[in-house]
Amino acid sequence: MAANNNNTAANPSTLLPLELVDKCIGSRMHMTMNNDREIVGVLLGFDDFVNMVLEDVTEYENTPEGRRVTKLDQILLSGKNITMMVPGGEGPVGQ
Amino acid sequence: MSEVRKPQDKKGPHKKKESILDLAPYLEKRMRVKFNGGREASGILKGYDALLNLVLDGATEYLKETEETLKSGQKTRPLGLVVCRGTNIVTICPQDGIEQIANPFLQPDQ
Repeated sequence: MAANNNNTAANPSTLLPLELVDKCIGSRMHMTMNNDREIVGVLLGFDDFVNMVLEDVTEYENTPEGRRVTKLDQILLSGKNITMMVPGGEGPVGQ
Repeated sequence: MSEVRKPQDKKGPHKKKESILDLAPYLEKRMRVKFNGGREASGILKGYDALLNLVLDGATEYLKETEETLKSGQKTRPLGLVVCRGTNIVTICPQDGIEQIANPFLQPDQ
């Protein structure tokens, strides 16, 4: 990938962000989006734009008192609005 | 507009795009990151790439300020190890380079 080639100029022992995401394939991740939405699901894969395919997904919307929408099967989550990715995260627990 | 930089001006043609921001000096430092959409987070910079994706450890998210938090203090929540998407990052700065000041723009009521 073009992103990996550019890192040879930087310190090679730094942890590459997309490598970390790659290690999390198969485990549960918690994504925060640009708005007040958060997604928790099992990561099946992602692409160069960090669009993600997730399974067993729960969607949380934070403003209306933690309303939850639970979706199963698989979703394609567009990477455009993904802000943070937390490996092994459980989402807004206790809110 | 006469100062527009062209590739031929100083060091010869730049064929490879270089980042204007080198994050190497900030590794292992606590950084404050602001995102498009208003989210803010702070964490120890563990890794990065040329697209400005970041790895932050021990990250906490600063929740958006409301009327209540202005009085009681800003709410945070712990996140742990996070990957931040470079496409949505707006600003990055070291946490110890920040100081909160009183609003300098307030006009005295007349």
